[in-house]
Parts: sequence; structure tokens; C-alpha cells
Amino acid sequence: MSDIQFINAHIIDPSQDMDGIGYVSVEDGIITDCRLGDAPKPSKDAKIVDCTHGYLAPGLVDMRVQSGDPGAEHLEDLNSLLSAAAAGGVTAFACLPNTLPIIDDPAMIDSLCLRASRQGGSRLYVYGAATKGLAGKEMAELGMMAESGAIGFSNGLTSIQDALVMRRLLSYASMIDKPVIQHCEDASLTADGEMNEGETSTRLGLIGSPSVAEVIIIDRDLHLVRLTGGRYHVAHISTRAGIDAVRKAKAEGLPVTADTAPPYFILNELAVSTYDTAMKLSPPLRSEDDRLAVIEGLADGTIDAVSSDHTPVDGDAKMQPFGPSQPGASGIDTLFALTMSLVHADHISMMRAIEILSLAPATILDVPGGSLVPGSMADVILFRPDTGWIVKGVNFASASRITPFEGQPVQGVIDATYVGGKETFRRD
Amino acid sequence: MNKTSSKHSASVDASVPVSLPSKHLLGIEGMSPLLIRALLDRGDMFASNPQSDISAALKGKTIVNLFYENSTRTRVSFELAAKRLGGSVLNIAVAGSSVKKGETLLDTATTLNAMHPDILVVRHNCAGAAKLLSQHVDAAVINAGDGRHEHPTQALLDALTIRRRIGRIEGLRIAICGDIANSRVARSNIHLLGTLGAEMRLVCPSTLLPAAVDQMGVSVFTDLETGIRDADIVMMLRLQTERMAGTETPSQREYFNFFGLDKAKLERSAPDALIMHPGPMNRGVEIDSTTADDVEKSLIRTQVEMGVAARMACLEALALGLDNAS
Repeated sequence: MSDIQFINAHIIDPSQDMDGIGYVSVEDGIITDCRLGDAPKPSKDAKIVDCTHGYLAPGLVDMRVQSGDPGAEHLEDLNSLLSAAAAGGVTAFACLPNTLPIIDDPAMIDSLCLRASRQGGSRLYVYGAATKGLAGKEMAELGMMAESGAIGFSNGLTSIQDALVMRRLLSYASMIDKPVIQHCEDASLTADGEMNEGETSTRLGLIGSPSVAEVIIIDRDLHLVRLTGGRYHVAHISTRAGIDAVRKAKAEGLPVTADTAPPYFILNELAVSTYDTAMKLSPPLRSEDDRLAVIEGLADGTIDAVSSDHTPVDGDAKMQPFGPSQPGASGIDTLFALTMSLVHADHISMMRAIEILSLAPATILDVPGGSLVPGSMADVILFRPDTGWIVKGVNFASASRITPFEGQPVQGVIDATYVGGKETFRRD
Repeated sequence: MNKTSSKHSASVDASVPVSLPSKHLLGIEGMSPLLIRALLDRGDMFASNPQSDISAALKGKTIVNLFYENSTRTRVSFELAAKRLGGSVLNIAVAGSSVKKGETLLDTATTLNAMHPDILVVRHNCAGAAKLLSQHVDAAVINAGDGRHEHPTQALLDALTIRRRIGRIEGLRIAICGDIANSRVARSNIHLLGTLGAEMRLVCPSTLLPAAVDQMGVSVFTDLETGIRDADIVMMLRLQTERMAGTETPSQREYFNFFGLDKAKLERSAPDALIMHPGPMNRGVEIDSTTADDVEKSLIRTQVEMGVAARMACLEALALGLDNAS
């Protein structure tokens, strides 16, 4: 592979606290040099990429993506998913196990990773199912799945309700040093729930899910983390109480991390007021106070990462009354620009934004990426944070085009994406 | 437009059909007091002249009753109202089976739309269903009850019933009692009667109280006798039998014991109150028969009667909107 030298780039690299104009040299897909200042004379055959007026950062690591492949390829296959990742600046992402068939078997992980690597492009990782068939009853083959490449274990869209099952999962996963990713929701409290419980649900006549359903599971699980020492990750955290619980647990030194997704720091439950089913998400859009707590949590480090929570949903499943419509929305194409909104609003610095999009998720999942330190994989993005555009589902690279941000103006574009030094996307 | 709620001044302005600001009638929330009064005035006029040929607003128009939930009184009431205005009525009863109702809703909407009905009267078990349908058909849509959300014509007929008996809404103390959480009738009445200046009270066990309902300008009571004390109107709501078996309430007899309306409780707390119920009643659960059938105090039969008049006012207003648009 030929060498590349990115010059005159505004480099943001939280792993070495680097923020300034500099250069990055790449050889054989590996970063060999990364410094502020003028670049040394490149080798003869090196390709020079002049990044004047643009930013360069490690590529995004998206730790919560639903693949339609296998089982729902008509909604999203690996091809469109990988295209969307490249266009969205996502150089690595982790897929949930709730596909058809369910990924609760080592061979499934082999197969998906192999097919993705044949396609080339962004690095695809897979969570193994925490329980057999995602039924929440019996532990799946965590060890064998880990040997096949599972980077952690998740029960997909459902929360593990049984405390004994959770205790064993945390204990067993700690033995093989993998995190358990939990969607935190007490199912008995939210069984019929259609949206967040509050004045809005009362006015709309929709059945409310109380927000305490999240913290009830988090609190229980934190006790089990104390008991087992297992690594625990709260997925798409959305409530103030839940965030407070994670903050306390971190202060105590427990091995706990958390991510959230853009809808939870940009929208609140009032977005449901017109019964727009694009606003039906899981967890549901919360109160304004919860939204502010998510921003505080991202700013103070309680919430480690932002993931896209990308979920392909059939249009027919959304063309329904709000109650029976399916939750979920597309997210990869908009992850970067929506997260930039936190920078534009001065809630977080650019450095922190790249940390929550790249370094932190790579660290939690223990995968390459998130850093420009020499020796790292050359997974980088070139971007301009101020360039504006309008979110339109029809323009997504993803085949999944239902978004709660339809028609919204945003700022921040990816100009190019490189995975292992290979250009996988360039804006026309 | 008429600015008072008195019957006499109302009859003058009620000689013309009401003009609605929107094509559809999906809910009471957000409706202005002027518009509500205009609809009530017109309904009042229809109620006072039941046999006369005042309006043929629906002549040449097709009204489709699309009911995804079982209903007798509401459907028949809409049918009568439409026929009295000269309209042709088609009833479609979609059996409340376990089919995916949402899919059926839009599929049916597409099919119906191809037949070009003028007005669709829709009842569905999902909140927001009437609104969804209104976005996919050319007809004007009337919400005849959408899940727990709203039942606007019920609130209008309730207000018409009260106004014809007492002469006003403003300043009345009105207690709505029972399964508030699951009631679209309660929500529409809170909006309508509250907008017209009534003091609204809700009485129910705390397990049947929707979240943050106090933000809707009501006061909340969990004791029936306190809640209905000195009330002018006591409006009882139906409690579904499946909510009485240890789920929302411990048992049917416990519910009746604390929240059922009987003669004794009524006499102790609100001897002058009039009784209402949107029906169908569970006698012996939320109301005892003596109270329900008391001709002096019970407005329940009048409510049914007023349903036709109130719906005539609504259908006429929608038809006028269609005529003006075309």
C-alpha cells in the first residue's frame, strides 16, 4: 500500500491531547508520525493530502448499530450499512446480536465478520447474545463467542430482567474480560408503554412508561457489579436518575461505562405531540430535565460515549398509529453532525466531542481506533465542523431512512474517511 | 358570533352553520371558547327543532362510519345526525379482532379514499388514529374516539346537555369520577368544560389517575364524597371489568364500596347534583341503578338524545368547510 501524508490539517486527537495544525504520515495502513507543525519532506511515492481549512481526527467508533443483515436485508444489508458508515465517518462499529437468526453462536460471528471483511471498508464488530435466543434465561456460549471475536455481550433490545442471570453474566464475562452491555428497562413497568410518562403522555392519551424503569435496573445491576467485579456498560442512557446512579458508581470506582444517542440530547418527549412515529424510540424520548441531564453527563464524563443507535425499521411498521408502531430510527448518517451540535452550542469542546465519538468507545470495547499515536491503525476522518446541511432521509447512504431529525438543519460534514489508510469515502 | 352562553342570545346566532378553522374535527384541546359555544348554540338549535327541516347540509354527501371498536350509541347517533342533514351513510364495522389494526387502518383508508367519501367518522382503539387517517384521505375526518386520547363529540353533547338543563357551563363545579387514566371522555371533557369556565374536579383511585394530570387545570381527589361535595354535576365513567380484578383496583366490590355512586353518598355530599354517564353503564360497579334511573337527577338519557344534535352541528360544520374549499 502506498504511503499517505495528510498535511496542514487541524488535528484533534484526545489520546495525546493534540489540538492544532499539523500533519499525519501513514505507511502500510499504520500511522507512523503525527505532529503539530510543518510536515517533513515526504517519501517520493507518498500521496499528499492537503487538508488546509479542514480537520483531521481518528474515525468514529459507533458502539450501537443494528444490522438488518442477516435476516432483514430488505431493510439494510451489509453493503448499505458499510456505505453509510463510510459516509458518516464511522471507521468501526459494533453490531447488536438481535438479527435473524440471533447471534448466539460462534459460527454466526465468524460468518458476519468474514463477509464484512470481504466487502472491505469500516471495521465491523459483533456483540454476542448474552443469553440463548435472547430469552434472558440461560447464558449463551460467551467464551466461545469471545474466541470467535465477540467484543462484548448484549441482550439486544431487551433488558435482562432476572437478577440471577445478570449476576452470572457479569461474573462469567469478567472471567474473559468482556463488557456486558445492558439496555436498562424494567419490563414490568413498561410492558404496555407507548412513550415517556408525563403530562405529554396524559394529554396525548398514550400509555406512559415511567422513567424510573431505567434507574431501577441500573441500581440493581450496580449492586451485582460490586458483587462480581464484572465490566458493565449502560446502553443509550436517557434519564437523570440513571445518569446520577452511573456518576456515583464511577466515583466509587466501579467498572461502569455508559453511552447515549443524539435523540436523547437533542429532543424531548414534546416531539411526540403530533404522533409522528419517527419519534418512537427505545428508550422513549424523555423530559426536558432528562435531556439536560444527558448533556451534563456528556460534559462531565459520566456518559463516556455517543453511539448512533442505528435501527433499520420497515416503513410499514412506522405507518401506523403511534402506539403499535415500531420503535427505532436510522442514525449512522447523522451521528457526526448531531454530536457536533453539542460543540456549536458550547456544551462540550471539539476535543471532548472526538473523545466521546471515537476514543472512549474504542477503549470501552478494546478495539483498534480512537487514536493517532504512531503505531495506530490509520482510521481517520477529514471533516469541516461548520458546514451546514439539511437532514433528509432520502439522501442517506443507509437504506434505513426514517429519522426523527427529518428536515432539521445541522452543521458538520465528513469530507473523507480512511480505514487502515485506505480511502473509503470522499465527498464529491 | 355569540359571546355569551345564555340560551336566548344564542338562538339568534345559531341560525347559521358553524365555520371551523380546520378541515377535520380531531379533538377539543386547543379549540377556542368561541368555537365551542358556536357549536353548542347550533346543536341547541337542532335539539329544539327535532322534526323541522332546518339544514340539508349533507345532501348529496357520503358519510362513512368507520368503527374499529364496537359501539352502538355513538355509531347510531352519527348515522341519525347525518341522515337528518340529508346525507347518505355507509357503516363499516371492522371487527375488533387481533388483526394488526394499524395496517388495516391505512389499508382501509386507501381503499375508502378511492370511493371519495365526503366525511369519515372514525373510532379506533389507538390514540392519534383519527389524525393519522386525516393525513391519508381526502375526506374530512371526525374523531369518534381514539384510544385514550379524545372523544370530542361526546364532550360537546355533554356540554349541550348541561347547558340545556342549567343554562350555563361557566362557574359550575363538575366532578368526573372513575377510570380517568383510560378515558378519552374525561380528557375531552376536561378540555371543553374547563375552557368554558367550569371548575373541574377528578375523583378516582390513585392507580387510575394519569401522570401530571393536575397540569391540565383540574383538582384531584381520591375520596368520592370529598370530591363531589357541593358539585353541580357528577359525571361517572365506565370502569372496564378487566381493571377490577386486582390490577388497577383490588376488586369490584372494593371499587363500588369506595368509588361507586349510590344514593347515600350522593345525598351526604351533593344533594343537588345532576348525574351523567357517557355509557354504557356498569350498574352496581360505578353507579347503582336507583341513582342512574332517578328521573329528577339523572341526565343520562338526555345525553343520548343530545348526541344527535351535537353531531349534527359538527357534521354540518365540516360539510360547510368542504363546500367552501371546493
